[in-house]
Amino acid sequence: MLRVERLTKIFENTTDRITGGVRDASFALEPGSFFTLLGPSGCGKTTTLRCIAGLETPDDGVIAVDGGVLFDAAARVNVAVEHRAIGMVFQSYAIWPHMTVAENVAFPLTVAKHRRYGRAEIEEAVKRALAVVDLDGFQNRSAPRLSGGQQQRVALARAIVHEPRLILLDEPLSNLDAQLRDEMRGELKRLQSKIGITTVYVTHDQSEALALSDRIAVLDQGRIVQIGSPQDIYFRPANPFVARFVGATNLLPGRLLGSANGIGEVEVLDGRRIKCLVPQTINDPSAVSVSIRPESIRLTGANTRPAGALGNYLAGRVSGVTFLGASRRVDVVCDGVSLQVTTTADMPLPADGEVLLIFATERTVALPNKMS
Amino acid sequence: MTWRARLSARQTTWLAVVLIVVLVALVLPPLILLLRGSVTVSVTHTVSRFGLDHFEAVLQSRHFLASLWRSLVFAAGSAVLALLFGWASAWIVERTNTPLKSLAYLTAIISLGTPYILYVSAWLLFFGKAGPVNHLYRMLTSSSDVLINIYSMHGMILIEGFLWSPLAFLLVGATLRNANPELEEAARVSGAGVWQTLRRVTLRLSLPSIMALAMLVFIRAIEAFEVPALVGLPGRLNVLTTDIYGNMVARVPPDLGGASALSVILLTVVLGLLYAYGRLSRHAERFATITGKGFRPRPFDLGRLRYVAAAILFANFVLLLLVPLAMLIWVSLLPFYQPVSMGAFKVMTLNNFRAVLSPHHIELIVNTLLISTATATIAVALTFLAGWLAVRRMFGGWLVEQLATIPLIFPGLILGIAVMQLFLYLPLPLYGTLGILIWAFVINYLPYGMRYSSSGMLQIHRELEEAAAVCGASPLTRLRRIVAPLLAPALVAGWLFIFLMAARVLSLAVLLSGPRSQPVAVAMFDLWNNGQGTELAAFGLLWSMLMTVIALVFYVVARRSASGALGRA
Repeated sequence: MLRVERLTKIFENTTDRITGGVRDASFALEPGSFFTLLGPSGCGKTTTLRCIAGLETPDDGVIAVDGGVLFDAAARVNVAVEHRAIGMVFQSYAIWPHMTVAENVAFPLTVAKHRRYGRAEIEEAVKRALAVVDLDGFQNRSAPRLSGGQQQRVALARAIVHEPRLILLDEPLSNLDAQLRDEMRGELKRLQSKIGITTVYVTHDQSEALALSDRIAVLDQGRIVQIGSPQDIYFRPANPFVARFVGATNLLPGRLLGSANGIGEVEVLDGRRIKCLVPQTINDPSAVSVSIRPESIRLTGANTRPAGALGNYLAGRVSGVTFLGASRRVDVVCDGVSLQVTTTADMPLPADGEVLLIFATERTVALPNKMS
Repeated sequence: MTWRARLSARQTTWLAVVLIVVLVALVLPPLILLLRGSVTVSVTHTVSRFGLDHFEAVLQSRHFLASLWRSLVFAAGSAVLALLFGWASAWIVERTNTPLKSLAYLTAIISLGTPYILYVSAWLLFFGKAGPVNHLYRMLTSSSDVLINIYSMHGMILIEGFLWSPLAFLLVGATLRNANPELEEAARVSGAGVWQTLRRVTLRLSLPSIMALAMLVFIRAIEAFEVPALVGLPGRLNVLTTDIYGNMVARVPPDLGGASALSVILLTVVLGLLYAYGRLSRHAERFATITGKGFRPRPFDLGRLRYVAAAILFANFVLLLLVPLAMLIWVSLLPFYQPVSMGAFKVMTLNNFRAVLSPHHIELIVNTLLISTATATIAVALTFLAGWLAVRRMFGGWLVEQLATIPLIFPGLILGIAVMQLFLYLPLPLYGTLGILIWAFVINYLPYGMRYSSSGMLQIHRELEEAAAVCGASPLTRLRRIVAPLLAPALVAGWLFIFLMAARVLSLAVLLSGPRSQPVAVAMFDLWNNGQGTELAAFGLLWSMLMTVIALVFYVVARRSASGALGRA
């Protein structure tokens, strides 16, 4: 459906020599899929989206939709933004304040070049688009009088009214308050599966990305560091950056002693050995980190080592407890290094504070410190 | 690129090219002709050569150094006075709980529409030898001396400072309104009193913007013509602008070369000052206190001192509005000028008002309205496109912005001389018509239009335009359906501002207008010079009333467009 190859767009900043943009990004989307570009601010995710929209001209690379080339640096093809036939929702929603809701939504049809739409036809299409986003009857409302959530829906209706091949969403939920954000997240997901439109979504919020996406690309400093399903990204992060950025994790630097069939042993802390998954990408055994998610760790009293030799054990001492409502965060110090553990709020802790951390091999991953 | 991409790029490229051609044709010829005139020495009537003779003549005369020195003293004094007045009243109005605030606005708004020439005449009548101040002094002391000699450097500074303080008030008020009040509140919470907060936070923060504003008034005062002509010339206090005027008017034939050389020197001075101003104001922005939040800060409670502050506002109102107004009304009712006395009431008449409703005066008013309307419309149309290209950094945007800003270096009088020379060369029969005035006025007000248009553009979130592009709108459709309606308030404000400025300017028009193409300000200047002060007063009062209405509309529109309601969808 959408194909992006070696997309590069660099912003040189001459004053403080920090360069932004995106380098060598490549990915391809299945029709109807929900694809997310995830990363911290300044990682190049919005640049990538704007290049696809045609709002930025890439330095290099290819962008094609349905086999039609929109941009090709080598062939000097660059289709202007207004001819790309896509829908887009902006971070600010960009609802035109001098138009009513209906005028806003009808705009793509009134400026359409390939054909003229009749008045009744436009009215019908606007009605349909507003119905999809649950804003029936809002046609004549003036745009600035809408709430944040309503503006977001209008922006969405405007993006889908001309039935584009592709819809681009630039952090559409970031301007909403927390409760509305959850609500709109669910709605967006429902909507996307209902109209089945191919979607590219940009966000810095990992929980949004995990909840909404079919596939996620994680960007760091202008480069795509991992593409995969939400489960891949979460359980098998490609490097320490992804592990830390997508969910909380404990990272223990160490040395890979050896591996076979994707399982190996890493020496961490003061000579302790941990069994874990070892991906193919590790080529420097002396510089790895072991990632253990706080919720993958089980706590027991130091003297109650359970029977059976499954998984890993680490002894430690509780240094702090934080009540979080549904769960509880316990900080445990092992060999002078602090680890986070998430437990249920009511689980009893040993009175003396000496605990044993238990975690399964398949929930423990060795990661290369540097990307190859 | 495909043909489609080329098509949409072509639209804006063509627009930029056309705009560049128009701006170059407007802005560069006067500059080139002025430079050329200053280095052309005529040998005989038909033969001339290149030479720096004019510059030599100017620089060697002691007269020049005296004028230069007077210009600098005059400008510096006026800037300090205007800022002092303007800043004090702006702070009182914007930040304290003083009563009578509306008086300050009333004063400022009325001053926007009133020709400076009228103000200056009114103050001259008030402070002059036969004015009520000196008259009262003579009556009380029974001497034949004067208390105030207004035809002096002090008098010039006083009047020029008065003239600029309402604008200083409005500009300082805008920066104070945009300043983040939390910075002051933090100081109050930390235990600082009103005066400590004022001295250590407010003043420190607004220092860069105050410096920039002082620089602006300084530049404008160096270029000023009204006060030097009406106050300086009778007192034999020449400054650079009146020297240039003298070269053109007092000599037969006019010494165009000498005037051009002096103009080039003045232009260089202004250019240097503008550069410094640019650096200062950029600095001011870096320390920006602007948050863009639309909330009103809690004003300081001055306690009893607020009556002192109210007295300051009232004095400001009396001096800047009531005195000139009362003086003009008084004079307008007299058959000939005489000092304020009971006896004068007996001869009062409305004849002056009858006289100024003549066809001649109607023609003046029509001329002025035509010039101002055409100037404002053309300048706003050009700068609307220029501002869009520049702010959105499209092809040609940078060049267009530079071109539209160049006229800032022209003092009004000098632009008048330059445009006059231009039409002596060109075969266009515009000399002595309204056309030549409009031509010069458009050049002069391009930078102002640019300022309104680009600051308005900056308030329009670029995503509003990008959204239209993604929807399939071509650049010109975006311009028509998104940018123009959203920018309309700023453009209307800019239009009204240019209209008001063009309707009252004297320096730019004084050398360019012919007998049939006089605007109001020039006619007033002639009336004053001919000693027809009573007619001037009557005419001026009627004219100011009309302009005040327009100024009021401007003020309402400008405030609304500056409040930033647009573009934050």
